[in-house]
Amino acid sequence: MVSTEVDSEKNLLHRKQSVYQSLDESFGIQKEVYRGQQYSQIYFARLHLMRTLLYSIIPNWKPHLPVCTVLGLEEGKECIIVGTLYKHMKLKPSILDEYSKERSASPLVQRHNFMHLDDNLVLEDESGRVKLSGCLLPSTYVTGNIIALHGKETSAGEFFVEDALEAGLPQQIEQPIQLGEDKYVVFISGLSVGRSSSNPLQFQLLVDHITGHLGDEKEQNIAAQIVQVVIAGNSVEVPHGLLNGQNLGSKDQSRLFEPIKELDILLTQIAASIPLDIMPGSSDPANFSLPQQPLHRCLFPGSSAYNTFRSCTNPHCFELDNIRFLGTSGQNIDDLGKYSEANNNIDFMERTLRWRHLAPTAPNTLGCYPFTDRDPFYIETCPHVYFVGNRDKYESRLIKGSEGQMVMLICIPRFAETGVAVVVIEYQKP
Amino acid sequence: MNSGNSKKRSAAATPSPQQQQKHHAAMEEEDLDEDVFLEETLLQYEEDSQVLRELEESNSIKERLQKWKRPSLSQAYIAQTQSISFQQLEIDYIIAESHKELLPNSSGQAAILRIFGVTKEGNSVCCHVHGFEPYFYISCPPGMGPDDISRFHQILEGRMREANRNSNAPKFVRRIEVVQKRSIMYYQQQASQPFLKIVVALPTMVTSCRGILDRGIQIDGLGMKSFLTYESNVLFALRFMIDCNIVGGNWIEVPVGKYKKAARNLSYCQLEFDCLYSDLISHSPEGEFSKMAPFRILSFDIECAGRKGHFPEPTQDPVIQVANLVTLQGQDQPLIRNVMTLKSCSPIVGVDIMSFDTEKEVLRAWRDLIREVDPDIIIGYNICNFDLPYLIRRAEVLGMAEFPVLGRIRNSRVRVKDATFSSRQHGTRESKEITIEGRVQFDLFQAVQRDYKLSSYSLNSVSAHFLNEQKEDVHHSIISDLQNGNAETRRRLAVYCLKSHLARKLSALVPLQDAYLPQRLLDKLMFIYNYVEMARVTGVPISFLLSRGQSIKVLSQLLRKAKQKDLVIPNAKQVGSEQGTFEGATVLEAQAGFYEKPIATLDFASLYPSIMMAYNLCYCTLVTPEEVRKLNLPPECVNKTPSGETFVKSTLQKGILPEILEELLTARKRAKADLKEATDPRVKAVLDGRQLALKISANSVYGFTGATVGQLPCLEISSSVTSYGRQMIEHTKKLVEDKFTVLGGYEHNAEVIYGDTDSVMVQFGVPTVEEAMKLGREAADYISGTFIKPIKLEFEKIYYPYLLISKKRYAGLLWTNPDKHDKMDAKGIETVRRDNCLLVKNLVTECLYKILVDRDVPGAVQYVKNTISDLLLNRMDLSLLVITKGLTKTGDDYEVKAAHVELAERMRKRDAATAPSIGDRVPYVIIKAAKGAKAYEKSEDPIYVLENNIPIDPQYYLENQISKPLLRIFEPILKNASKELLHGDHTRSISVPTPSNSGIMRFAKKQLTCIGCKTPLSGSDRTICKHCKGREAELYCRSVANVAELENLFGKLWTQCQECQGSLHQDVLCTSRDCPIFYRRKKAQKDMAEAKTQLDRWNF
Repeated sequence: MVSTEVDSEKNLLHRKQSVYQSLDESFGIQKEVYRGQQYSQIYFARLHLMRTLLYSIIPNWKPHLPVCTVLGLEEGKECIIVGTLYKHMKLKPSILDEYSKERSASPLVQRHNFMHLDDNLVLEDESGRVKLSGCLLPSTYVTGNIIALHGKETSAGEFFVEDALEAGLPQQIEQPIQLGEDKYVVFISGLSVGRSSSNPLQFQLLVDHITGHLGDEKEQNIAAQIVQVVIAGNSVEVPHGLLNGQNLGSKDQSRLFEPIKELDILLTQIAASIPLDIMPGSSDPANFSLPQQPLHRCLFPGSSAYNTFRSCTNPHCFELDNIRFLGTSGQNIDDLGKYSEANNNIDFMERTLRWRHLAPTAPNTLGCYPFTDRDPFYIETCPHVYFVGNRDKYESRLIKGSEGQMVMLICIPRFAETGVAVVVIEYQKP
Repeated sequence: MNSGNSKKRSAAATPSPQQQQKHHAAMEEEDLDEDVFLEETLLQYEEDSQVLRELEESNSIKERLQKWKRPSLSQAYIAQTQSISFQQLEIDYIIAESHKELLPNSSGQAAILRIFGVTKEGNSVCCHVHGFEPYFYISCPPGMGPDDISRFHQILEGRMREANRNSNAPKFVRRIEVVQKRSIMYYQQQASQPFLKIVVALPTMVTSCRGILDRGIQIDGLGMKSFLTYESNVLFALRFMIDCNIVGGNWIEVPVGKYKKAARNLSYCQLEFDCLYSDLISHSPEGEFSKMAPFRILSFDIECAGRKGHFPEPTQDPVIQVANLVTLQGQDQPLIRNVMTLKSCSPIVGVDIMSFDTEKEVLRAWRDLIREVDPDIIIGYNICNFDLPYLIRRAEVLGMAEFPVLGRIRNSRVRVKDATFSSRQHGTRESKEITIEGRVQFDLFQAVQRDYKLSSYSLNSVSAHFLNEQKEDVHHSIISDLQNGNAETRRRLAVYCLKSHLARKLSALVPLQDAYLPQRLLDKLMFIYNYVEMARVTGVPISFLLSRGQSIKVLSQLLRKAKQKDLVIPNAKQVGSEQGTFEGATVLEAQAGFYEKPIATLDFASLYPSIMMAYNLCYCTLVTPEEVRKLNLPPECVNKTPSGETFVKSTLQKGILPEILEELLTARKRAKADLKEATDPRVKAVLDGRQLALKISANSVYGFTGATVGQLPCLEISSSVTSYGRQMIEHTKKLVEDKFTVLGGYEHNAEVIYGDTDSVMVQFGVPTVEEAMKLGREAADYISGTFIKPIKLEFEKIYYPYLLISKKRYAGLLWTNPDKHDKMDAKGIETVRRDNCLLVKNLVTECLYKILVDRDVPGAVQYVKNTISDLLLNRMDLSLLVITKGLTKTGDDYEVKAAHVELAERMRKRDAATAPSIGDRVPYVIIKAAKGAKAYEKSEDPIYVLENNIPIDPQYYLENQISKPLLRIFEPILKNASKELLHGDHTRSISVPTPSNSGIMRFAKKQLTCIGCKTPLSGSDRTICKHCKGREAELYCRSVANVAELENLFGKLWTQCQECQGSLHQDVLCTSRDCPIFYRRKKAQKDMAEAKTQLDRWNF
């Protein structure tokens, strides 16, 4: 129905193509079952993975120092220890608060950040815990970070940190040298279809724009270079409180279903012309804990008919013409924002890359499936583009790793609030 | 060795203010002295040498313990050139040969007092005080001359010898003196009369001598005569303290040259010396002497390897770990953190671990630790009834005669006795009384139980209540498994063992930040400060405060005061007229309802003490009816109380009780004023403890006079007090309602809607809090003016709105300033009863909150409806439905079948290993059972219920648990409360899970049903039937929303448990059923698995 062949009289514009490869497999939990496993295993898996890695780079960092376990610490002896950080937070909300004796007289203000000056860090490995003091800033780190520390045990039994080592950027696959043609990838997030304040026209305009229905030839030319659209979460907003067990009346059913239907119609328009990846987000009809599983196809009877429509996991990882993209719908960065501090979202993003971990706060404060033998959030290979959806505003930064890695970090703003989508050029190496 | 070990102990004789109208006293039996002969308590020489030998063996441990020794003595102490000043904590006495140098004139055995304490440098002190003799008084028969007295002496001596044939004491009655004293009882016009002071050789002889005199004695010229004895029931140590002006926990100084270093050190104390009692200087706790010495406080706990299905028994189950934490009084960080384990144990950061191969070594090391660390106070949770007796019994089983030398006296073993603690609140309890010489035991369990009313006293709930933290709890069957594993699992156990007493939050493994739970409770609840201050105010030793009733405290003050006034207190069980009970306090009829206008509360400040002061009510001002006639006192000199008694006014005779009360209340005022100015937190703590102790003491004086089986009951006083109280409440009501009327120029007619013992609730009719406050103050001032000083009516607070249900049951929002309410205050509503499930409490609290704070009655109704609907739809968090009861005896011993006993029996049949055993608390829920099943048959283990999908019985919860408290609240508000709340639409829809364990289900064939309409699916459909095809999206959304909600919960619950256990890399093994999220966590796990399977069906 809709395609790029708009102006058929003039020279036909052909949409460019690229080679797409999904790398979401590790984020799938289809085969996983809840059989009573606990969260200790994912921490264990993480520690094991990261420690092996850190051990391999410690000799380059401080070769003269011995490496210890927490148990092996001796008072006054300088050494390096590797372990999982645990941050004690006074203000951290707890489920036990529900049971506190008295409801406080003043209504609880929803805090957006739970930091407090008294917060402190503890390092833990399988052998034990030790309280940290010294130069490590509690406001930067969160529970679940794995880190190597140089320091010594004080007489008070604390570990005085002198220096810290993070895993750093992982290795990057070589970016291919291609024949020079520009291709674009469009990122959208936070469409929030169904929200009372959202403007359906705005999204329609975007759809028309990227499918080449708008603008002059020049713009259409650009539109034709779009090879992929990625929707990074929070596409719909389902009215709250409808789904609490009682059977729905037909009126409520439609209230529930209307936004999804609307979204499907628009997505159908995109999918008909461009390959489309849709990731679930916190407000979408998907599961809560990370990794979020793909939105079910039955929600999109129209668009799912196209093979260009791909429902993906969150986090989502894919390669386009051998350029690697990795991103989330934003929960990991939101959670870091609650439990640590940074100047901006990009800083948070950069940190996660340097920690080589997408979501260190999972499972502690970020819901997460209790994996037993792996930690899917570990970043094994450095992406070329790292995106996070549902931010307040657009931001980007190009960072370089010690081994020549180059990563583009992108914050995708909420479309419903800003009307901004992000276009990324698959640029060519000079 | 407490001076005097009571065979029976009794609980508080003085009820708390709320209970005062009951006028029942717990049985308070007399405290008796018990002579302990030094020579008999010490281990014999052979044993002694064995101890020494073993000490040498464990030298390596000794070295490690060395570093924790007390600071060494300064040169001035060693050279004896310095006065010794110390804070005493414990005073007892012992019988030994009297000191030849200090008392050259006496010989034979005498009672020697021992004062244990600590100097401000932290050195331990044991002071032997000589020369103080036990005595008591009798009234001197008229016309007794010196010759008569010496004859009387001889006769008494003879009778004493007869009665104590086994004793080899050379002399029983040392001497008899004539003194001028007066009995405290009744108003007397003459100033004093002669009394005989009978001085005996040993403290126990007081009792025996009293018996002889009580029964009667033949005296030449007078015939058979029985004597009323005075002050013959005072424990020897207390007598000593009173006579030397020593109060519990104060500082004592022995000047240079007045003490003699002990020739042979009998104790392990650093400073041990002898002195005369007359040389002691007792400092009153003021200024510099109100501070606390750096006592050493040991908090410890043991873990035992239990056998499956049994509570650990000392005859069989070994002690596997002992955790110790030593803190210096006033310091935040513990000095020592130590765990002693049986078998090797991996180290824990910041913790000193000692591992041993045999249990004997563990016990011996612990004893050595006690000796080296030399704690002044030993604390723990339930140590008196579990840990200490267990250790001692265990050592006996292992044949370690040398183990129980835990006190400060060399080679002296601790003494264990069975004691019965009976009180009206707690019933009769068997307990152990363990005497560790020179060390004060402070069992937090007893202290909390005594001072706080909680629904459960498990360490977990107590710490949850006060510290707002959950405790990780490991079932004792798991403990055995861990112990029998390897070094790593034992380490896990050690972490648990330490933590449960030491670290909560962070630091399972780094117990640096947190202290042991008991230690933290001690700090949090300021027990040390409060108890020391209480001891100082009332003048009794600290150890009395926990082990004895209230009346000894009042008695101690009375005796001190009486001594100043040359009064003596008769030892009569029943003085004054025989009178059973008397009318209690008045309660004005409550006009139940929901008041939406401000209600002012007028309170009498310390009503009963002020009445006693205002009307000069005392033993010594009471005039008996006969005396009234005889003395013919002018009416302006007496008060006739509303109950018909006569008391003289203070112009004729100032009462002792009013004087004591006056001092207490002035002291409290001063303490409060000082508190305001104090800046140092420690000083503040002391002052706050003091003002609290003063308040409690003032209030317990009235109770003392009303305790019919107490030390010195005088119902004339107590009934007069209550009758005045009643009169005042009525008087207040009348004045308020007469004055504040439209006729009187006010906008509204005031109405007294309710009046309690010492407060009156007035509705002035004004709409704002501010106006009500103004009128409240006006009323208080006006009415106070009509009373005799110091009775004072105070305006304190406004309730707005106010829900008055019935007498003693009300709730309201409390305002003390017009801008913002302070809190919600509820009395008699929040059912803290143990046999209620949590749901009741939550529901009631939430409803009150909605009604009073949010002013949202429809919201409250909706909340109730939703909760009931959740209950009926099986969506209730199971932990809210759990009812817990303690299993105290086996099933056969209970006369009626009880739900929890039957369940324990059933669980034992299922699996003896995990079934609750005696002493455990049994949690259960009520399940649906066949029609006509007895209530006790419907109990079931919550875990079993979760695992097998057994339906609970919502009707039971609805009718037996929540309906009554709810209706109570809503009846004043709603018209058809019962109909509206309990029988509405919301009760129509119910959901009952299919049990997976019932017999019939084994024959059922499992078939997939449509997720939408539950129609069995046929053919190729796997998820939904063809009729529901169009609703796919809706149904999917619902499934996935359910999963999302559960995932969120699952994550929160399990990470919380990781947080509690203080480790990310170890599986959670807590089985604390007291934890509110224990069942929820289990349910989340199970529901999660189910929901995920359900969701996976969509992947067609």
